[in-house]
Amino acid sequence: MKQNEFEKSMSAAAFAEAGEHDTAKEMMTNNESQKSNKQSLKEKKPYGKMVIFGAISLSAYIALLANQEWVTETFTKGGINTVWPIGAAFFFSFIHGAFASNFLSVLGIEAKK
Amino acid sequence: MKRLLFLILGILIVLPTTTALAGGPPPKDLLKGKFIEIQEESRTATFIKDGAESSMTLTFGEAMTADDITLNKKVMVSLDKHAGEGVIKDVSVMFMDMTIMRIGALLLIGLIGGLLSGFIGSGGAFVLTPAMMSLGAPGAIAVASNMCHKFPKAMVGAYKRYKYGQADVKLGLVMAVTAILGVQIGIKMQKFILNSYGNAGSNLYVSVVFVLVLVLVGGYVFYDAYKSTKEDGEPKTSKLALRMQKIELWPMMEFKVAKVRISAWITIPVGLFTGMLAATIAVGGFVGVPGMIYVVGASAMVASATELIVAFIMGCWGSIQWGISGLIDIRMTLLILAGSLIGVQLGALGTTYVKDHVIKTVMASVMLIVAVSRGAKIPGYLADLGLSSQLQPQMASFLNSVSFWALIAALGTAGIIITAAMIKGMVQAKAEAAMQEVAPNV
Repeated sequence: MKQNEFEKSMSAAAFAEAGEHDTAKEMMTNNESQKSNKQSLKEKKPYGKMVIFGAISLSAYIALLANQEWVTETFTKGGINTVWPIGAAFFFSFIHGAFASNFLSVLGIEAKK
Repeated sequence: MKRLLFLILGILIVLPTTTALAGGPPPKDLLKGKFIEIQEESRTATFIKDGAESSMTLTFGEAMTADDITLNKKVMVSLDKHAGEGVIKDVSVMFMDMTIMRIGALLLIGLIGGLLSGFIGSGGAFVLTPAMMSLGAPGAIAVASNMCHKFPKAMVGAYKRYKYGQADVKLGLVMAVTAILGVQIGIKMQKFILNSYGNAGSNLYVSVVFVLVLVLVGGYVFYDAYKSTKEDGEPKTSKLALRMQKIELWPMMEFKVAKVRISAWITIPVGLFTGMLAATIAVGGFVGVPGMIYVVGASAMVASATELIVAFIMGCWGSIQWGISGLIDIRMTLLILAGSLIGVQLGALGTTYVKDHVIKTVMASVMLIVAVSRGAKIPGYLADLGLSSQLQPQMASFLNSVSFWALIAALGTAGIIITAAMIKGMVQAKAEAAMQEVAPNV
């Protein structure tokens, strides 16, 4: 039988008044643990995102190191070519930054709420 | 108030017409290109400048041999203007070969540098540039590549700390714009000293300012952190800042996140001074953060977060300048970034677990150890200027290694304090959460 929140607290209160403290506590904590179960389902670790961003980031790094001759030549021509290094820095900070953020979440390192 | 913000934005737009850089502008009398042939008998070499179709002939400098020149690799050539037209002073290969060891070293330094940056708002630069140089990068390339990694890192850190409600965007904008102006003044002063006292004089001036500022400010921050640990650990606004906030001089500025209302006449000099020092000692954050804490009256948490906004704006502007000169080695930049983007986010979330005084302790420790590193160089500069007798070679190499290892010690110490404080905070937070689960109504 499904009980709503109000009924549950009322019956817990009735048990408590009758001196059955343990039963009352159990009813309430059951309630809590269900809630936290739901919460943990919601806060599923972002494995998928980590893998996707990680893969993009890794292939970008491999592409960079595999073509380093062309890259260093083009990126240091000076003048308007400054958009290359600046653009690359922004691109990597978004992609690799997103990977790093998800990676830390997967490790379970989160900011204090 | 809105007018003031528009004014600030206006200055930001106009600024690109000037040169403003932390760490000075890119060098001008550099040639970039490739040597294609060496004529040993006439002590000359054929050189093709970047972008040029025809070749030119350059003459070896006095102490040079043919071995100093690498053929068919991109090099930077600095010319000795005093020795005549086209005489080479120095040649350095622009792009070192990326070995696995170098890649590993860059990733690791990036990680710890980022951790520090996310936690105290600045740092990393003072050790990254020398580290890149000891891996084999020429000085100008190291400075440029470091600056280009600094701004995306600061951007990610600032974004994270803004989300935690710690960064004051308005204060950051005001500080950045005034600091960029301060950099101009700083560069002018540097040039004056360079012209009057030469290279050794300039080095001595930079080191003395560096050591003095770091010891005085770092010492005070340390004392303050110690005092607040003894008390209840809660941050208190400094007496100086409280006095400054009482000065009702138009225009008054309100910084909502920092919870400060203060006259622009106080904020602007703090930014100017930060910029001046950034131009001189290349680590403006070591003055900017304490300035925001003790003069403006922000907490260490807000000041260190806001510094990341300042670093982003100044770093972005600086990188564009160095990029125009074509000196950024993007491989180094991005490899450091790989480690530092993880580090900076770790450092940023670490601040949510610690109290204000931990941030101050880390900052003060780093500043004091870095001061030792620079202080060890002063005897050498004094000798160069002829103000003291020449150093024994053993002494000189001893002082050099003291200087290098102090930098490593600064990074290591900071890394250990931050990690320990973070783990302690996390364990505590977990215990608190567990307590709440057992007794939800307590």
